[in-house]
Amino acid sequence: MSQSETKEKKGFSRRKFLVRSAVGVGVLFGAGYLSRPLWRRSLAGFANSVDAFYSGDTETPPLWFEILADNTITLLSPKVEMGQGTFTSLAQMAADELEVDINQLKVVHAPTSSGNIDGFSTGGSTSVASLWVPLRELAATMREMLKNEAAKMLGTEVSALTLQNGVISGNGKSLTYGEIAKDVESWEIPDVPPLKDRSAYKYIGQPVPRVDLRDKVIGAPIFGMDAQMPDMLYGSVVRPHLIGATFVSADTSAAENMPGVVKVVVEEDFVGVVAESYQQAENAKQAIKVTWETEKNWQLADIEAMVEVGKGDPVTIQKAGSPGSILSEADVITAEYRSPIGAHAQIEPNGAVAFVDSDRATVMISTQVVSITRKEVADRLGLDVEQVDIRPTYLGGGFGRRLHTPNAVQVALLSRAVGKPVKCFFNRKEEFQNDTFRPPTHNVLKARMDENGLIQAMEHNISSGDVMFGSALIPGIAGTLLGADVGAWRGGMIQYGKIPNYQAISWRVKLPFATSWWRSLGLLANTFAIESFMDELAIKAGKDPVQFRLDQIQDDEAGHRLREVIRAAADKAGWRDGVHNGRAMGFAASTDANTPCAHVVEVSVEGDQIKVHKVTCAIDPGLAVNPDQVRAQCEGSIIMGQSAVLYEKMTVEDGELRPVIYGPYRMALMRDAPKEIDVVILENADAPGAVGEPPMGPIGAAIANAVFRLTNKRLREMPLTL
Amino acid sequence: MKKANHYYLIAMLLLGVLVFGFAYPDGQGEGSTAAPAAEAPMPAAAAFDQMMAVLTHKRCVNCHPAGDRPHQGEDSHLHHFGVQRGETGHGLAALQCSTCHQETNNNISGVPGAPHWHLAPRSMAWEGLSRTEIAASMLDPARNGGRSLEEIVHHLTEDALVLWAFEPGVDDEGNPREKPPVSKADYIQAVKDWAAAGAQIPNE
Amino acid sequence: MQVSFNINGTPQRVEVEEHTPLLWVIRDILDLKGTKFGCGKAACGACTIHVDGEAVRSCSFPVQFAEGKNITTIEGLGTGDALHPVQQAWIEEVVPQCGYCQPGFMMATAAMLEKIPNPTDEDIDNNIVNVCRCATYYRMRKAIHRAAEIKSANL
Repeated sequence: MSQSETKEKKGFSRRKFLVRSAVGVGVLFGAGYLSRPLWRRSLAGFANSVDAFYSGDTETPPLWFEILADNTITLLSPKVEMGQGTFTSLAQMAADELEVDINQLKVVHAPTSSGNIDGFSTGGSTSVASLWVPLRELAATMREMLKNEAAKMLGTEVSALTLQNGVISGNGKSLTYGEIAKDVESWEIPDVPPLKDRSAYKYIGQPVPRVDLRDKVIGAPIFGMDAQMPDMLYGSVVRPHLIGATFVSADTSAAENMPGVVKVVVEEDFVGVVAESYQQAENAKQAIKVTWETEKNWQLADIEAMVEVGKGDPVTIQKAGSPGSILSEADVITAEYRSPIGAHAQIEPNGAVAFVDSDRATVMISTQVVSITRKEVADRLGLDVEQVDIRPTYLGGGFGRRLHTPNAVQVALLSRAVGKPVKCFFNRKEEFQNDTFRPPTHNVLKARMDENGLIQAMEHNISSGDVMFGSALIPGIAGTLLGADVGAWRGGMIQYGKIPNYQAISWRVKLPFATSWWRSLGLLANTFAIESFMDELAIKAGKDPVQFRLDQIQDDEAGHRLREVIRAAADKAGWRDGVHNGRAMGFAASTDANTPCAHVVEVSVEGDQIKVHKVTCAIDPGLAVNPDQVRAQCEGSIIMGQSAVLYEKMTVEDGELRPVIYGPYRMALMRDAPKEIDVVILENADAPGAVGEPPMGPIGAAIANAVFRLTNKRLREMPLTL
Repeated sequence: MKKANHYYLIAMLLLGVLVFGFAYPDGQGEGSTAAPAAEAPMPAAAAFDQMMAVLTHKRCVNCHPAGDRPHQGEDSHLHHFGVQRGETGHGLAALQCSTCHQETNNNISGVPGAPHWHLAPRSMAWEGLSRTEIAASMLDPARNGGRSLEEIVHHLTEDALVLWAFEPGVDDEGNPREKPPVSKADYIQAVKDWAAAGAQIPNE
Repeated sequence: MQVSFNINGTPQRVEVEEHTPLLWVIRDILDLKGTKFGCGKAACGACTIHVDGEAVRSCSFPVQFAEGKNITTIEGLGTGDALHPVQQAWIEEVVPQCGYCQPGFMMATAAMLEKIPNPTDEDIDNNIVNVCRCATYYRMRKAIHRAAEIKSANL
């Protein structure tokens, strides 16, 4: 994507600040953004470049900042904080342009009543990137507004003012932002001032400690699970344990007289119970007998048979040259790779606290899709969206699981039925059986090498359950616009542009259970396949796998950035092929959402156990707003990726998705985590890019490639098992 | 499937009586004919069979592992999360058995519990042993914690943790855990009868 | 039933059904929300607290057994305003991401350090088996070692 296209997409010709009179203390500042959030254009741009875009509310001017009398500023974030560190990065960006100490800033989740709603979501590693320009422009504009008013109050020229930590001085006097804001009745809206040069930043680019650090080590009640309202009751909803089950009817007689039960609520599509305590609601739920209707008693073999390249409708997502004819010749190398159903398994269960009275609904919830949650609640309750206020909380893990929040609707209905606030959460078994899973995949790769040991033609076929299709997040238009499921084929394009002939083809599988966004989407499985295959080809060609990749990357900017991370990872790790002291290195690289990332892993094998000792990661996210949090995201992404690659697997037994508890759903624990993770950050782009997901790409293949060197076994199926 | 297992077990028990009946001293069979059926000591072989049907059950053997890790579940898999016995069989510093297991079964969480929930010491490892080897181990003061026969009987018939096997509660999904194939009363009687008859171990 | 215990140094008496998990008493009756619900099956460790100094997963601890016990939650781990060495170390190493599981990890760590003041990597691997989906394990390990240093320096 060229620079001018980026500008156009993020561009907004005219913006309008709204200044409201004080609500409580302080002043609310707002701005309208993106007068026309063209979904079609945004989507197409997203699909082509996986570039970040901001899609704000345009009906009412959203509120961004609240200046309080004590000279602190509240930043209302339209993006939610789920661990990715966005709040900290936004605070850094705002503090630098506002010229305040970062400790003067408090970042909170914008409730929908503030109007500051991102119609897109929080996900796809886009939060910081998408707000990089708008937030700084807002902050800079507000700073100038304050300076203009200060000049009047202090009786001097704006050019004569000095500014430090939210205190404006001139003419021998000083005023705080809080003092200025308190007395202004009518604001002048200046043009957007030029943004600061990077060298002038105090916070951007620094490893600032997370702004939520203290709250998170003292156990502050910041999560959806911690939310409460006065006079609140507890709800529980019966959720199906069977795949594809729809609610038919319920025998609620036994539950109705159980201790603490306030009401059993039967709706057209579910049954729930409201009681005085959590445990009473759970106990009563166990006594409700539900009749479910299911299409079939699904078994794992049914699912596995569906996920096969060649079944369903193919869509070519990438093509260069004439790969088809070359790959029908002799000496074609083929390999197949598979990945299983994956669970999100975030530790905070889904749930919400809701209160519905006659014409208003308030929902406190961990959600990644604030505006969709609001619309779904409004639609079901027959309210206008303006009558529904979604108050997002900190998320106890997101990973894509909270891009679907029909549970908000259920809790709202329970509240409406009893006329009181109700809190209702999934139990863990319900989480595991009603997840929106990472879809299983089947990847088939083909290649033909030329006489120089370079790839002459390559083809990548991806069969996957839906990720984006069917998601509430993306409107139905996406299918016709894009043809193939962007989420499913994320990471599936061949990134070695010097290969003269290549193509990637996506095959859609419609599975009988919900599959959707799981951190990094298709990247995990697709890169596992491509980068394992690249290793197989390098070995066949008798070449060093690092050099083999470098030789086939194209010479454009994306190619340059990818080569740089590959070299950086190899250098930092002291890359050498082969087995040394019982350990082998494995290498893989990928570019995701314009962020290239390369890993060198050091692995040993003891018995049938694969042990990852060290990971060297080189990543180029462009400008690293907070290098420490870039590292943190790489560390977490690497270990979560390792967990999926080595341990995790959902299966299907007699119509049920299983297992239903941690332990049997084996995930990485402390003892599994590499003892060393070395992250090298390159910044070969001017603006911040994706961070949270790209490091998931290469981890699977890097481990499998190392295991091959140790065992001579090519593991092509996740979880990798010896 | 479960039903089939039970039939198999009954068949084994019958077979045991038939086979081992020959190996036992003649006198042992006589008591059973002399006394009223309800109170009569079982033939020692039958008593041994009943006792060992319990002691070789997963409810017992899961916590008499050969290594340092307990087993769990109907399939006796290694306890999840790498749980270890620690110095005293009560777990590790911050991962005691009592971190999760309390004095009673928890039918809300599905975590089983009984007083002094812990692993049998290494010397009492039963995993992988035959039933006669388990019995021999039980009687060997070097391996049984220096217990006399009387103390063994007491342990086997009155210890709350041992008798938990007959009230094993429900698992994490609320399904009842499988109980040993002999009732608690019959098991206790069998242990006493076997001991009273000389605590003999058949040659197998 | 009526149950009395000390929690974070304060005596409390609650009237509650005897099998109620202590977790819900702590969270919903005593309104201490730092102890988290993750699985309700003693599998994830998010609800770890101390009962008489020992690490206990409160989702699987019936309130009836709390009678007369000294209970500590994350809110009472430090002393007054001073953070516990584990919390200090967690801040120094910038451990939390989403943060939801962290109180459970910190409570388990604090319990371990009382018995193993200078844990090896192996001690950490074997004792700290909570689940963190953000996979902050790498920093947690560093923070545990750091907490041991802070704690021994404070003695």
